[in-house]
Amino acid sequence: MARSTSKDAQALFHSLRSAYVATPSSLKIIDLYVGFAVFTAIIQVVYMAFVGSFPFNSFLSGVLSCVGTAVLAVCLRIQVNKENKEFKDLPPERAFADFVLCNLVLHLVIMNFLG
Amino acid sequence: MVKLCVLIAAVSLLPILCLSFSPENPTDRRVLVLLDDLSLKSSHSIFFNSIKSRGFDVDFKLADDPKLSLQRYGQYLYDALILFSPSIDRFGGSLDLAGVLDFVDSGHDLILAADESASDLIRNIATECGVDFDEDSSAIVIDHKSYAVSETEGDHTLIVSGDFIQSDVILGSTKVEAPVLYKGIAHSVNAANSLVLKVLSASPSAYSANPSSKLSNPPLHSGSAISLVSVVQARNNARITITGSLDMFSNRLLRSGVQKAGDSNKYSKSGNEQFVTELSRWVFHERGHLKAVNLRHHKVGETDEPAIYRINDDLEFSVEIYEWSGKSWEPYVANDVQVQFYMMSPYVLKTLSTDQKGLYHTSFKVPDVYGVFQFKVEYQRLGYTGLSLSKQIPVRPFRHNEYERFIPTAFPYYGASFTTMAGFFIFSIVYLYNK
Repeated sequence: MARSTSKDAQALFHSLRSAYVATPSSLKIIDLYVGFAVFTAIIQVVYMAFVGSFPFNSFLSGVLSCVGTAVLAVCLRIQVNKENKEFKDLPPERAFADFVLCNLVLHLVIMNFLG
Repeated sequence: MVKLCVLIAAVSLLPILCLSFSPENPTDRRVLVLLDDLSLKSSHSIFFNSIKSRGFDVDFKLADDPKLSLQRYGQYLYDALILFSPSIDRFGGSLDLAGVLDFVDSGHDLILAADESASDLIRNIATECGVDFDEDSSAIVIDHKSYAVSETEGDHTLIVSGDFIQSDVILGSTKVEAPVLYKGIAHSVNAANSLVLKVLSASPSAYSANPSSKLSNPPLHSGSAISLVSVVQARNNARITITGSLDMFSNRLLRSGVQKAGDSNKYSKSGNEQFVTELSRWVFHERGHLKAVNLRHHKVGETDEPAIYRINDDLEFSVEIYEWSGKSWEPYVANDVQVQFYMMSPYVLKTLSTDQKGLYHTSFKVPDVYGVFQFKVEYQRLGYTGLSLSKQIPVRPFRHNEYERFIPTAFPYYGASFTTMAGFFIFSIVYLYNK
């Protein structure tokens, strides 16, 4: 039973990886970007666990900038994915413009809250 | 020409008229003495002369004088009233119970002495001041242990007492050595009245009864619950002395020697003169009258008083307190004056330190709470006029630009924020040019 489970998991990973190879490179770039943002957020949370929450506003803005970036990037990925039928009428240029605008607003807020 | 002279005379009299009681000069100036009988003027002359020699204008009137009046055109003519008329049923003129109480309510002083002939009017005045004379009109204070040795053996109504209140401000700094002679009626202080104090209490063996009849019931007043002399320091700084013995002010008892029964110590002079003189000094505001001026506060390192403080500011607070000595304002020295920084409850309570010249100061940090605060000085001490000062001051939180910036601990967060920005920039380029 246990052997068959590990075999199933291997088969699952294998199929996932082979399916992911077929993903367009633009979506892969977005995935990399999301990974970077999440990684930065985790580093900050670990740091906060060590030094305490004293400049709490700085901590919040640092983490929220990463989280916000990740969320916006995921939204972009949903909108530009060709297989997603819901947004098939939305041109990818329009989706990217929305993404840039939202990022500008996010970073404006982050800069205000950081100090 | 005559009119001009009158005008000049009136104008030159103004400063004299203005010499009366005022916050700047709190000692009484004009004293009205109401007597049953003008012979009291000579039989109590030592007491009256000591008042006159201290610079008071003493005006003697019969208590039933039909022209008697305390005020004219809404202004009081006197600063203090001495009622040495125990048997009067109705004052003459316009004066009545309410008139006497209004006189006290407007901050004037009163000395009331009764004896066994005390009338209902005198008793009512005393009751309104928080002192109840023995209701039995024939009862006087008897003490078979601490009576004064006298020629008429068996008379134990001339009692001696040395049970004084422990207060230098009321009785002066010199201790009254010889006991005080007392012959009169007993009173008790109203327990509900916190302003009235027993200055001279009877000994534990004293009781109040009719000396000529057999004692059938236990006496209503007995022991040291009997007050012989009581004082009131009212909240408006009016001072009242009430005693059940008119004789204790008389020349006879002031000059008499005293020997307590069963005590070999014989004093050539009773303590009465010192006692009544010191007590009258206190009542007439020659002692124990405080004023607080120049309440100041500012931030440490500045001199101007700000309109508002910020939380966690360091501030310095100072106030000057002076005591009236009868002639001038002297620095008041004490180590128990406190200031409160108060908003519904005291957030800061600090004892002020003094420079021995009347200036009290301290410094403290404004609490980490914003709102409308008050500096409060509440100083109530036995025998002294109460000080109750408050000054309002708002406290605000930090302004947006007053918070600490560029904290080293927060550098990783700053770094992360800028890294995400740079990441966004690089991502945009890579994403757009990836075809």
